Amino acid sequence: MINLQEQISLFKNVLGTQLKKKIECIAIDASAMMFYQAKNATKDVDLVFLKKEELEAVKELLYKSGFNERKNVGGIFREDEDTTKPIMMEGKETRFDLFLNEVIGFKLHKSIIERIMEVHEFGNLIVKTASPEDILMMKGCTERLRDRDDAAELIKKFNIDWNVIIGETSNQTKIGMLAFPLLLYEFLTELRENYKVDVPKEITKKLLVIAEKQFKELKKRDQLIKVTKYEFKK
Amino acid sequence: MEIIQLAKRLEGLQTIDSIAKILNIDKRTSINYVWLLRKNGFVETLYGKRKIRMYKISPIKPVKSGYPGLYEFLNQNSKIKIYVPYINRIYDHKPTAEEMIVKAVQTGDFRTVLSALNLFNKIKNWALLSKIAKKENIGRKIGALYDAAKTIMRVRRMDERIRKSLLKGRIDDKFIVKHARTRDLEHIEKIWNIYLPFNKADLEAYKE
Repeated sequence: MINLQEQISLFKNVLGTQLKKKIECIAIDASAMMFYQAKNATKDVDLVFLKKEELEAVKELLYKSGFNERKNVGGIFREDEDTTKPIMMEGKETRFDLFLNEVIGFKLHKSIIERIMEVHEFGNLIVKTASPEDILMMKGCTERLRDRDDAAELIKKFNIDWNVIIGETSNQTKIGMLAFPLLLYEFLTELRENYKVDVPKEITKKLLVIAEKQFKELKKRDQLIKVTKYEFKK
Repeated sequence: MEIIQLAKRLEGLQTIDSIAKILNIDKRTSINYVWLLRKNGFVETLYGKRKIRMYKISPIKPVKSGYPGLYEFLNQNSKIKIYVPYINRIYDHKPTAEEMIVKAVQTGDFRTVLSALNLFNKIKNWALLSKIAKKENIGRKIGALYDAAKTIMRVRRMDERIRKSLLKGRIDDKFIVKHARTRDLEHIEKIWNIYLPFNKADLEAYKE
């Protein structure tokens, strides 16, 4: 586990000062939450890159700094698509999870970058933090209990803009994440019922409408929906 | 009310009056609430025109390690204050005015560039400014902005060698702000072969 100061020191000393070119990435999950002071420590540092060569450069640098790549990446990630699996670089105290464009059933695109809330510059490494809304949606695609705890914490601590959630859900279906509205609907309903957090009912209703519309269209076109709900295997 | 709930409810830029209106309380109580929020790190105080005290309230407690990024730097060092679209921190070195002018020009945002004109007064190392500007291919833009700043305020003298070196600089695009051209500072535009985004009226903001 590392705390915010240790994460900053990793970004600064291991990556920022040693990278030869300017590289931009988006911090998600607990890494971003630590910048928002919504979490004190994390097991892994999750970074999303938009360019493959930038991801490779960071991976190489981590390797040189004593991190080793974990080969058996299983669990919550899709087995069929290598591109959606992160590159996991394990060190003594922490692990870097490096994603390329997609995070477990959630694709990153321009409007997500426009919503970033913080930019942290560590020499040649520029770390942008995903907005609480986006972190919440990314957590909606997993089945891990700790993700639910984090999501509940996010809703409690931040003014979540629910219109962003609805808008982004439509965007995700447009770019091919067909099951996303249904997964998010289930996720938010569970949060409201089990964690007693304030998720407006009209939002879950809207999500259900989007999901149903999606299913009807797919049925019309006689296309099967790809199931992208993942169960966490120990 | 829980303090985090209060921060969530009052998120944004507020004054004592607006807080009193939102919470339906009197001014004295709203001052007390601001004190409580500040004590918990949810408030940052800013000063608007005519020194109006404004409170930037956010449930996100900003990280205070590192040094301020572009927008905070401009607000600290320029007369023209700008809205901070996101929190920006720099960790590897203390940012300088030379570096920040270049960054401001790179944003291509009108008000950010306008605000950055004041930074020409903080320049200590003209050679460094020239070096960074040329590296980013905006040398002539910086030169033109310096001349524009000179029309409205007293600025430190730019070394003649630096001026000549900036004049020779390459640029990728003639516009500092996309599609924005001046009517009043055309003589400067001609010298630097750049389109300046400001008219004289825009620069008057520095006189207020």
